[in-house]
Amino acid sequence: MIILNYLAVGAVAFALILLSKSHRAMNVFFILHTLAFLAIGFYALLTITAPGFETGSEYFYVDHLSLYEVLIAALLFFLASVYANGYVESLMQAQELHRNNLKIFYMVFSLLLTTVTLAFFSDNLALFWIFAELTTVFSAALVAILSARENIDAAIKYIFIASGAMLFSFIGLIFLYTLSGEVLGSGTLNWTLLLENAALLSPKMLTASFVFLFIGFAAKSGIFPFHTWLPDAHSKAPSAVSAILSGVLLNIGVYGILRMYSIVRQTQAEDMISQFLLGFGLLTVAVAVLNMLLQKNLKMLIAFSSVEHMGILLLGIGIGTPLALFWTLFYILAHSLTKAALFFSAGILHRQYESNLIQDVKDVFSLQPIAGWGFVIGSFAIVGMPPFPIFSAKFFILLEAFGFSKSLVFAVLLLLVIASAAFARFLIEAFTRSSKEAGTEGLETPPLPYVVRSGMKFPIISIIFMILVLGVFFPESLKNLLNEIVYELGYL
Amino acid sequence: MISSFLADPAFLEDIIRILFVFVLITAAFTLSTRNIASLLTVYAVQSLLLVLIAEFLYLIEGNKTLLAIAVLTLVSKVMLIPLFINLIGEKIKISRDLKFNYLEPTASLLVSMGLILLAYVFLSGFFNEYVLGKLFFMGAVIGLSLTLMGMLVIFSRRKVITKAIGYLTMENGVLLFGIFVADLPFIIEILIVIDLMILVLLTTILAIGLDSTIEEYHQHLQTLKIWSGRDN
Repeated sequence: MIILNYLAVGAVAFALILLSKSHRAMNVFFILHTLAFLAIGFYALLTITAPGFETGSEYFYVDHLSLYEVLIAALLFFLASVYANGYVESLMQAQELHRNNLKIFYMVFSLLLTTVTLAFFSDNLALFWIFAELTTVFSAALVAILSARENIDAAIKYIFIASGAMLFSFIGLIFLYTLSGEVLGSGTLNWTLLLENAALLSPKMLTASFVFLFIGFAAKSGIFPFHTWLPDAHSKAPSAVSAILSGVLLNIGVYGILRMYSIVRQTQAEDMISQFLLGFGLLTVAVAVLNMLLQKNLKMLIAFSSVEHMGILLLGIGIGTPLALFWTLFYILAHSLTKAALFFSAGILHRQYESNLIQDVKDVFSLQPIAGWGFVIGSFAIVGMPPFPIFSAKFFILLEAFGFSKSLVFAVLLLLVIASAAFARFLIEAFTRSSKEAGTEGLETPPLPYVVRSGMKFPIISIIFMILVLGVFFPESLKNLLNEIVYELGYL
Repeated sequence: MISSFLADPAFLEDIIRILFVFVLITAAFTLSTRNIASLLTVYAVQSLLLVLIAEFLYLIEGNKTLLAIAVLTLVSKVMLIPLFINLIGEKIKISRDLKFNYLEPTASLLVSMGLILLAYVFLSGFFNEYVLGKLFFMGAVIGLSLTLMGMLVIFSRRKVITKAIGYLTMENGVLLFGIFVADLPFIIEILIVIDLMILVLLTTILAIGLDSTIEEYHQHLQTLKIWSGRDN
């Protein structure tokens, strides 16, 4: 029933947006869409006793992991939809978004939410593949919607790298299908069935299949060396979209890797795949922090930080212990929220200075106190300072990694220091500059403050509130939920 | 006379092997041809070769799904997609893609030879524990090679429309691989085609965006920039 509810709500919301005339109406319908998705998700979470198939077929499957991911996605879409009201209005006033494209923007946004949700609920891996591809298409459209040349370039790069890599994933699926056919008589791509019979699968073929699948999922989640599209797309997209790209769409790739790893974990291929993931995770973190260090573009900095965090998530999955998985799952939530706060703040700053470049940022705290503080607090949270939730997640993942390899932990710690330095450098350089200090051209007139429209501050403030609470207080219900997931993935 | 030939599996297998060679030739063309109209023709021919391969394989195996795949490929990849891209090509008035990134045609041909060998070595490492017929193993190798060569096209060509053809070539490779390695459920093929249509649609819309109107729009935007972001 859950899937049918989601589909019905998604279709109604899409139709209402299609029929509405004013921006206000479109926005309200989209907000209602996200709220309905949140409500269905919470209802399902409260009523679900055991994971089960949906719609009478084996194509969709609802378990705690998919519900968890769907709830994170719906929450972020809700925040983005509230933010979008004022933000999109500003974009239109600045003539960066054409009024004719407004409806397309909301329609595609709404479709994206529905496809993301369906992707997380897909039990059949081929179906998951299709929905993941569709999310690429829709999100690329949202990147391109500003129709500036650089946006279109970024969107095209995104499509070609992500979809091209996903074709390799499809080869991996074919491998998996053949492999399961050898064991089960007839081939299957149903995750539940594969997990059940994982021990029977040939480790060698499973490794090959995993490597191919990994190429596509890694590209979706911006893992090195397939990350090259990410900084462009995430930094050029409108900030409401950037938050979704970083906070939700990257999770799809990680989700795919996690599901596959839980199958591999039951076989002898585990050791090799685990090393493989740790290697790519470490490389990803390294490449990301080196790009962050001297970054001059605010949104690029946040985008590369996403690459870094995906690397850490990969490490968390690769370590493969139940505790590491528990904290990796928590990390996903913490990262999604924090990253959204950063992008929302960056969006306001971009409206203010019409630039993301470090040298254009001046008088932040007097002009945009909320966005300024949002960015500062967000930066502290994202580099993993206590009391923010990423701290505890990182801490326990690294603690688990310690039993695996000491040198790995040291390497990661060193890289994390560089990442913090990158954020510190950016903050010090950009946020302390005042227009009163005469530049080379003499005294400049201080810029007028951009009037932040209604609804744009709420998401930033509420996220900061949420991460502060999550940092100091770990709700029992969340703990139970994460434990359920760890159990259902066969870790315990 | 012909029907007796068509009933002989050995003959059909030979034909399929020859078709493999043709497929590789088309891939080489895609890597080096500068004229977009010929690129499209090459793509259509390549898809037609896949149709024929699926067709002959059906004659050997008698699996109905292959026939369905052949029909679907014929309609979508031999007819619709080339027609569509052709329309777009005329609209944006790009007839040639002259420049190459990283690799000139000769170099990319050499690289693709390497890729074919790589695909062979890689697959023989994994499929030795499987009873995959010789022809089927060859099909898998050619499929994987075609995918890799398509990727090379995406990397080495500049214009979006050529990159799109590279992507389509990759997709053909995956299809070929799928035909020979597994009996995929037919529904998956349909889903792929839908996915493909959307992708082609989107990239072409974007390609048009790159061409003309947007530039003017963007200039318009530059002149008005002083107003942006302020509430009055």
